[in-house]
Amino acid sequence: MKPSLKHFFDSMGTYLARPGGESLEELYTAHPEWRAPSSRVSLYGDFVRGHVRSALEKLFPMLRGAVGAEAWNALVEDYTLTRPARHHEVNHMGEGFPAFVADGVSSRGLPPHAPALARFEWSDFAVFSSQAESPERVERLTPNPTLLVLEQPYRICAYVRAKGAVVVPQAGDELALLWRHPAHLVTYYQEATPHALLVLKMAVEGLSASDVAVATGMPEADILGAVARLSRDGLVLSPDA
Amino acid sequence: MVVTYARRHGLQPLGVGIGLRRSFYEELPRTERALDWVEIIPENFLSLGGRPQRALDACRERWPVLPHGVGLDIGGPDALDVDYVTGLAALVKRVDAPFFSDHLCYSRLGGVYLHDLLPLPFTEAVVEHVVPRVREVVARVGRPFLLENPSYYANMPGGTLSEADFLRHVVEEADCGLLLDVNNVYVNARNHGYDARAFMDALPLERVAQIHLAGHTIYPDVIIDTHGDRVCDDVWSLYRYVLDRTGPVSTLIEWDQDIPSMEAVLDEADLARAALREGAGR
Ligand SMILES: [Fe+2]
Repeated sequence: MKPSLKHFFDSMGTYLARPGGESLEELYTAHPEWRAPSSRVSLYGDFVRGHVRSALEKLFPMLRGAVGAEAWNALVEDYTLTRPARHHEVNHMGEGFPAFVADGVSSRGLPPHAPALARFEWSDFAVFSSQAESPERVERLTPNPTLLVLEQPYRICAYVRAKGAVVVPQAGDELALLWRHPAHLVTYYQEATPHALLVLKMAVEGLSASDVAVATGMPEADILGAVARLSRDGLVLSPDA
Repeated sequence: MVVTYARRHGLQPLGVGIGLRRSFYEELPRTERALDWVEIIPENFLSLGGRPQRALDACRERWPVLPHGVGLDIGGPDALDVDYVTGLAALVKRVDAPFFSDHLCYSRLGGVYLHDLLPLPFTEAVVEHVVPRVREVVARVGRPFLLENPSYYANMPGGTLSEADFLRHVVEEADCGLLLDVNNVYVNARNHGYDARAFMDALPLERVAQIHLAGHTIYPDVIIDTHGDRVCDDVWSLYRYVLDRTGPVSTLIEWDQDIPSMEAVLDEADLARAALREGAGR
């Protein structure tokens, strides 16, 4: 690459890392002969910054509402400065956001459930777009290959289900299960109930309903009912589906 | 007679296509409207499973699919992203695309994706930098490749070539095709005060193997290429002007923002199809 071209990219890189009045002036200083109107050049700073914002706003709508406009803007601005877009697919830049939120809870005065909510929303997307595709047929009861398990100190599932009717989630340990429904291809989620954990265990260990009935004393019909319901929901894939 | 890029590579005009956008994943594969081919943005299919893959497979069963990338970064200073190019090559083969395309711009700096199409200075140094990169991409993907003329809002510093000469040098020296975005020509002509028809006359039109049509947004001091509206009358008339010089060319309606409905996009595709037919009759 010619030095003049390297100089061009270096100067644009410096500007785009921190678009603003000062960096724009620096950019023009680096190219004294440049006559392009600055209102046009600064469009690019706005665009590049805007792409990070719009990706985060699509991925974390509930978190945005929960922290309030001012804290949200500060989070987005500061996260943008970390240059998070390291992947050609735009949504991937959200992957590091939950950890960034967690680091700033006390210094930014964020609600204490913000990190758990951020992690939940990222997991929702990660499951939705998981590259683990469910096989069309299975030979035996199989856990959904997109399943993600989150351990969190808030009852986020109930909070998300309430769709804004609940202002803050209840404190209390929760094991949240998220998976992509094999037919509808959307994210399903629920708290890990004893039934859900049992059916997952059956799928992982290859246990039959009758084995489990003998071992636990639960009626076999209850177990079969849970297997059927959770297969319909896609938490497990059943050979009968 | 000039042997066109398309003829040299056995590329037939495919008619009119629209983009497979997220909001169309369910309805597009089932549409009963006229549609000749489908465009995909490979970045949406390379690393995302589930819905996009099902929609892509369903479309592929019905239509030719043409990948049109935004992340190749053909003009940037970073080395080509080998994972990306390898994935792209696999996708092109999977959908058996007759060709693929991206933009003559840069989109990555120091490992950071800008998720935008940034303009390059119109210089010999850029031509020299881009040409071997195009050749490398074509060698890795193994299919004909088109570069699109991007929209730009400011001339980058140090430019020594006209925009048309710059485009010509790159596509001729790299021996690739040209994806002519007619709306971009219109937007650039208005933003930079030049004559769109004279600009197109100066392009190597024998290399045009695909045309883009789109809408834009007019602000007091600039027109932004938003892909957020219907194709305006002036762009339709420029489209006919090009078709008179190139003959029928595969055409895409790009509508990516404020999409009213898929039907509205297909209505635009019908208009383009009528213009193609009309052009063939002239
Ligand atoms: Fe385009």
